[in-house]
Amino acid sequence: MEVNLKNIGKKYEGREEFTLKDIDLRIESKDFCVILGPSGCGKTTLLRMIAGLNSITEGDLYFNDKRINKTPPKDRDISMVFQSYALYPHMTVYENMAFSLVMRKKNKKIIHERVIETAKLLELSDYLYSKPSDISGGQRQRVALGRAIVRKPKVFLMDEPLSNLDAKLREHMRVELVRLHKALGSTTVYVTHDQIEAMTMATKIVLMNDGKIQQVGKPEEFYNKPANMFVAKFIGSPNMNIIEGNINNGKFEAKDGIINVRPSEKDQKALKDYEGKKVYLGIRAERFESGGQLGDTFECTIDVVEMLGKEKTLYTRLESGHELVISVPGYYEYNGGERHSFGYDIDALHFFDSETKERIN
Amino acid sequence: MKLFKKKGDLYLSDKQPLSISGKILLGLTYIILISWAVVILWPLYQMILSAFNGRQEQYLMLNDQFTFSLKHFEYLFNNTLFFKWAKNTIFISVATAILTLIIVSFTGYAYSRYRFKGKKASLMAIMLIQAIPTFAGITAYFTMYSVISSINPAFTRQVMLILIYAGGGIANNTFILKGYIDSISTELDDAAKIDGCSNLQVYRLIIMPVARPMLALIGLWSFIGPFMDYLLPKVLLTSPETYTLAAGLFTLINDVRNLNQPAFAAGGLLTAIPIVILFVVLQKQLVSGLSKGSVKG
Repeated sequence: MEVNLKNIGKKYEGREEFTLKDIDLRIESKDFCVILGPSGCGKTTLLRMIAGLNSITEGDLYFNDKRINKTPPKDRDISMVFQSYALYPHMTVYENMAFSLVMRKKNKKIIHERVIETAKLLELSDYLYSKPSDISGGQRQRVALGRAIVRKPKVFLMDEPLSNLDAKLREHMRVELVRLHKALGSTTVYVTHDQIEAMTMATKIVLMNDGKIQQVGKPEEFYNKPANMFVAKFIGSPNMNIIEGNINNGKFEAKDGIINVRPSEKDQKALKDYEGKKVYLGIRAERFESGGQLGDTFECTIDVVEMLGKEKTLYTRLESGHELVISVPGYYEYNGGERHSFGYDIDALHFFDSETKERIN
Repeated sequence: MKLFKKKGDLYLSDKQPLSISGKILLGLTYIILISWAVVILWPLYQMILSAFNGRQEQYLMLNDQFTFSLKHFEYLFNNTLFFKWAKNTIFISVATAILTLIIVSFTGYAYSRYRFKGKKASLMAIMLIQAIPTFAGITAYFTMYSVISSINPAFTRQVMLILIYAGGGIANNTFILKGYIDSISTELDDAAKIDGCSNLQVYRLIIMPVARPMLALIGLWSFIGPFMDYLLPKVLLTSPETYTLAAGLFTLINDVRNLNQPAFAAGGLLTAIPIVILFVVLQKQLVSGLSKGSVKG
């Protein structure tokens, strides 16, 4: 099912400002759409509005072509997985999973079949008659998923479902969820503040901040073509290096004079209007070239080396005191205190307008 | 032979060993607590003893003579309206408990889950009104009773009593239940709503079972109330036929014509039975912690 949001806004009672404003978003059928953003950006509110748990102050919400602003949650053919799982504590795992079907007065035999089938899929068969308090966190999480799956809804809504799991289990569940999404062929809307979850699972990412959508697109686009400085800083670990400077004669010159780069021809065209103006240059940690045989280079002192195995993260300092994070393959020899020069991969430079913070190239 | 130290010699407590002054204080604490317990238990013991003591006549005598006999119970059953009083009390208690539970369920849930105008103000108002003793309103109750009963004769004084008890319990219990429901994650409500529950079903199928320990406690309190109260039934109920146990039994010790103190003791003993039974039945529910495991781990 296609979910279509048109100019949606939300204002809570007793608040001066709109929490969300002018949200335009189209989630295609069978999309795995991840709504990403820092806490307090309104992403959960948006999800709850799609679920019908919060009212919509303005704008229209369509499922396919049907406007469902006023449809109660139970009639929207959705199911939701909550951050805290929200299992009914007085019911067994079986009853928890069967509850939504029982409420819809389905045939007992069908209910039983569905629950058993779902339990098998999620490897819950051994715990069907335990109470939620008697099973582990990971199992509870799967019961919560099972409760959502059992009804075979058209849209899945997930509100940070993995945030209470330990790192190992989370990694495992990420893959499981994508697999499940493909197997069920439904539309999934997934809310998280974890960019790794977004990058790994999504077919479409919606990055939000301050109640507005910052960028919508595929994970690669987010990484390689961030639409503005917020997106650039939010996506990617370590964070993108941002350097302030001016464009002089088509060349980027940093304030401190140490970082000077001549952009690629394509970028130079885009930067034409910015001649003599202030811009921000963004470059990802892994797009520096070590060796320094090509084009422009700069020198820096390595403060700290973080060994991550397949790569090393170098925390370096320029003479002016500006800090840059550079990552290099793990087998390269770098030690703290050394001075090195690095070059730039000029195909991977991001330029941002100094006022609007929007992407230029 | 130090290797074979006895287990009893090992210091196993988690607390630091007591110093001498600590030991004295501990002894003092025990003395205070034991004497307190004696103060409470001694009269109860005397009551039970006299209830079964065949040597006791009209007046209670504290002496050593004891012959086991059930004659005070017989007196209670044959010469007084004990069964009628018991029936009245249980009727009033059960009705009060049910009425309180129903009303408090609604108010507690509403105050916990809904936002509405005047929520805070009305909560405060209820709390303040609660500070006025129920008995202060007795004239108002009387007027209300006479007005309603003149229109509807089925509205007896006992029904009036039930309404007073239930009404008086609402304020406090609403607060308590609201607090308890507040501690239940609202995500449970949301999940239930998506699963297809209406608002009332959310309460009945999800919140009520989770809040059962508190509801059991509220039910128990409301049930005990009419057993304990003497003043209101004494004023409101006029004929001995309609008395509750407290009011009825009191006639055995304040009226010289049918004074029988041992029978009063026996009646008091029997009064405890329904409460004890209810307590045993509800014991399981009263154990809290049911909501564990619903959210997070």
